[in-house]
Parts: sequence; C-alpha cells; structure tokens
Amino acid sequence: MSDGEFTIDEWVCVALARTIRDGEIVFHGFGSPCAQVAMYVAKRTHAPHMVLVEGSTYALDPDPAFIPPTSNDWSLLRGAAHVLRFEELFDLGARGELDRMFLSGGQIDCYGNTNVTAVGGLPRPKVKLGGGGGGCNLSATVGELTLWTTRHRSGRALVEACDFITDLGHRTPQGTRAELGLPGGGPAVLVTELGVLDFPDGRARLREVFADIAPEEALAATGFELEVAGDLRAVPPPRSDELAVVRSVDPLGVRRSEFGTRELERRFRWSADRMACAACT
Amino acid sequence: MKPRMRDDKRCTLAEAAALVADGDTVALGGALSHRLPMALVRELVRLGRRDLRLVGSAHGIDVDLLVGAGVAGTVEESYVGYEQDLGLAPAYRRAAEAGTVAIRETCCYTLLQQLRAAEYGLPFMPVRGVAGTGIRDLHPEYAEVECPFTGQRLVAVPPLAPDVALIHALSADRHGNVHLRRPLVLDERFAHAAKRVVVTVETLADTAAVEGAGIVLPYFLVDAVVEAPFGAHPTSCYPHYAYDRAHLRAWVEAARDEDGVAAYLAEFVTAGGEAAYLDAVGRGRLGALREWGASTDRWAELATA
Repeated sequence: MSDGEFTIDEWVCVALARTIRDGEIVFHGFGSPCAQVAMYVAKRTHAPHMVLVEGSTYALDPDPAFIPPTSNDWSLLRGAAHVLRFEELFDLGARGELDRMFLSGGQIDCYGNTNVTAVGGLPRPKVKLGGGGGGCNLSATVGELTLWTTRHRSGRALVEACDFITDLGHRTPQGTRAELGLPGGGPAVLVTELGVLDFPDGRARLREVFADIAPEEALAATGFELEVAGDLRAVPPPRSDELAVVRSVDPLGVRRSEFGTRELERRFRWSADRMACAACT
Repeated sequence: MKPRMRDDKRCTLAEAAALVADGDTVALGGALSHRLPMALVRELVRLGRRDLRLVGSAHGIDVDLLVGAGVAGTVEESYVGYEQDLGLAPAYRRAAEAGTVAIRETCCYTLLQQLRAAEYGLPFMPVRGVAGTGIRDLHPEYAEVECPFTGQRLVAVPPLAPDVALIHALSADRHGNVHLRRPLVLDERFAHAAKRVVVTVETLADTAAVEGAGIVLPYFLVDAVVEAPFGAHPTSCYPHYAYDRAHLRAWVEAARDEDGVAAYLAEFVTAGGEAAYLDAVGRGRLGALREWGASTDRWAELATA
C-alpha cells in the first residue's frame, strides 16, 4: 500500500472509534478486535478521558504490547492503571455506570437485537455460534451500545428477524425496553463494512455510506426494509493521527481477521483537502 | 461440606479428578485462552467420566475437548469458542447441532449472580437483563419477581453450587492455600460456591512463599492440590508461559470430524498421563512458550505461531 492510502479495516476501526465520547467508561467484548482497536484510537485521539476497560482481562487503560489474536492475554495488561475484577466490571454494568459497550452478532435485526447463539435457533441449531458472553445482561443496562458487523455484504448478517435473541436491541417480540423494564439506552449506531446506520425511534436507518459503496448496495444486502436518511452522507474520512494509532496498536493486523479477503482489497485515498476520500482503483 | 481441615491435600492427578463423579456439575476456572484447567480436563477424559454439566464464563478448548470426548451431557456456558482467531469450537458445534449435548447457554452476569446466591446463602439473586431474550426461554428455572420496595420487575436466578470446581493456579502449599493473579474471572466465586474444589498448580511451594505471593483461595475451601506443570497447556498460564496457538489450531483442525477427535485423543490424551502429554507436545516447544518475556517481538511471534 502506498503512502497516504488506507484500507477498509482501518476505516471501520476509526468509524467505531468516533462513536465514543470523551469521558465515557467503555468496554468491548472478547473476540472483538475492531472494537478493541477502536477504543485505543479514541483514547489516544479525541477521548483522552475515556476509561478503557479491556474485554477479557478487565485491564484499565493498558498500553498493549500488541493486540493479540486472543483477548485474554497478558499483552493486554501491560501498563494498565489497574485490573478490575470480573465482578467489578459486571456490577458497573448492572448499575448503569458503563457508558458504552461494543456488540456484534451473526445476525442483527432492524431493532438492533443480535444473535450470537445459534443460526436456526435452539434446541436444533443450523449453526451453533459461540455465545454471547456477558452481552445478554450488559445490553440491557449499558448507557449506549455501538454495534458492528463486517459481514453486511453477505446478506446474512442484517436480517428481518434474529433466529435467537442473545443481546437486546430496542424491542423484542416481547416488548420495548421500557415495557421489559430495561434501563439502558440500547443500540445508538451500527457500523458495517458498507456504511453507518443509526436508530432514530429505535429502528435502523442508513445514515452514511463508505466512499466506494452505493446506497443501493447497502439496501440490497439488508434483510429488512432499511430507511435511508434524507441527508445521506459519506462516512467522514479518517485522519492520519487516527490511522497511526490503528497501525501502532495492532501491528499484527488482528483486526483484519474480521473481514473477508474481498473487503481487505478495498483501499482509499484522501482528496487534496483531506475532507473527502475516494476508492483506489 | 467444605474440607476445613488444614491437612496435607496433595494427591495424584487421577485421585483429584476422581472427585468428579458422573453427572456432576463441574465449574471450569480460567477463561478463553488463559489458565483453563486442562490437565484435569484431560484426566476426566482418561477416567471416562460421562454426562457432566459444565458451567463457566467464556471457555474454549476445555469444553470443546470434553464435548468431543463424550464427557459432557450439558453445557451451561456464556461462550465456547476461539474468538475471531480460530473461530467456532468444532466438537461443541457439531454436538450442539446433532443434539447430542444439551445447550443451556447463559450469560456472565447471570452466572455470577447464581454463584453469589449460593455464596450468600440466599434462595435467589436478581438480574436486570435477560428479560425478552432467547436466553430467558432456555431457562425455565429462572422466574420473574417484583421488587417489594420499587415494584420493578426483575428476573430471579437460583443459586448455583457446582459439585466440583476445577482450577489451575500459579502456586499452592500442601494445605491448599492458593496463589492466583488477575484476571481471576470466576475462580474465587467457584471456589466459594462449589461443594468440592480441585486445584492444579504450576508449582507447589511452602506456606511462606504462597503467603508472600498472596493467598487468593484459603486452604479451608480446597480439597485437593496437584502439581501439574503446564497444566493449563495449550492455554496460557502467565507469567509462566504464553498460549500455544499452533497446538490450539491443530486441535481445531482435528476436531472438524469425529475421526480427527479420536486421533487427537489417542495421540495426546489417552496414550498416557500428563508426562506423556507433555512429551507428545514436545518439551522444546513447551520451553519456547516460556520465552514470551524475552522481547515484544518474541512475544508477538509466539502469539501468532
């Protein structure tokens, strides 16, 4: 890759980072390298006062030697201010003091419910997925959720209805968050490899698309009827300082394991004023 | 009844694993690729245990191997797999899809609250989430309760007192005073809530040394202590060794079908005891896992092997 170019995996990490506000307490689940990289990008650029909680070591604000392929590794403890107990992290979430969490899913529906348990549901799954870790409770109480998927284009990720609801979006067939007594704010943003969705009135809407994606592509890959924002925008380009953090914190490129090979070929370059960017051909 | 006595709890791995009976609820310590109680897991396979109910928070090869070997009847975990890296757990996935193992998927916080209910001697603990999810439907033993003070509706979860907790630790003395370092995950909660606690350690040490390092589990909770160097392999046991990603990958590839599982078990598990396992893995290769602290480059090299 020549100087001044960047790739979709880097850009997705930056788009995820920009969902974090300065001062928030933020947690990523395990097995979530893009969210993990995004948290370091935010912490080291626009959100220096965020409290970064590692997904499986529960380390606070570490300076990782590198992002390893597994999230329960001592490389993610290096330089940490402290290592929380498991209980402390989940109690923080239960009492509503965790401001943001990142969640993904094999399936995501228009309300932001996610299925990480089983395609085809239980008890007889077509594909048994890994499971939700702590998401089932945390998604109910965390201030805001940033969702992401790197498989939007597959057509199988954004679905009309999840075969199984592991983590909560804005409403399930059993009711809205308010009706279920769940205090958390639910999904605020869904970042995909095609664009960025928001949830006005609790339902997903296409807000931004990446520079090489036509809105029709995103709509065609979405299994539910996807509203398009009246002022649909391009995803704002990353800054060089943000990209520098992506590359330095994840020198092994673990984030790329979330993307198919075709996606990893997507490269971009800035316009002369760096206010926009275009796909490299 | 907790063991209470401060006697000598050292025993063989086979004696320790024999504290697990067929059909027991077994709590697995550690998480994902770190400090899974693998020597005990392998010994359960050698003993031919059946129909275990496995509980834990975010696990990997321990559950996958026990399911593959036909040891598990029910899996009540929040996650089983190898993250984005090596992906889904093949043996677990196959058994779940064939219906040969019962899946009672849970959530980390639910598990914590259930263990706390057991620890606190209370008939239930509430959780704020779970309502409205598929996880709720998997658990008829949960119930809805109304808070007597605020009227809020919450999900109540019953106590969980595992029959046995299996934990791999850094060090312990002969009485069962155990030293661990964070992340502890649920190890402490398991040790307090379980009826029996079995601990393998990298090194047995005298009481003064364990006190100096820091006692995390006191002797009166622990039934059995076994020295099992590399007892977490192929997962990591820092600061002693990093995880053996190449071995995990070899298992994941082997576990794609039943024949592969059988071949893996024959080569690494049932051919002999733990000494034979470590020989089969290769002593030189194990030694290399200790080199993680030599430099960041060496550490990264091991992490991506």
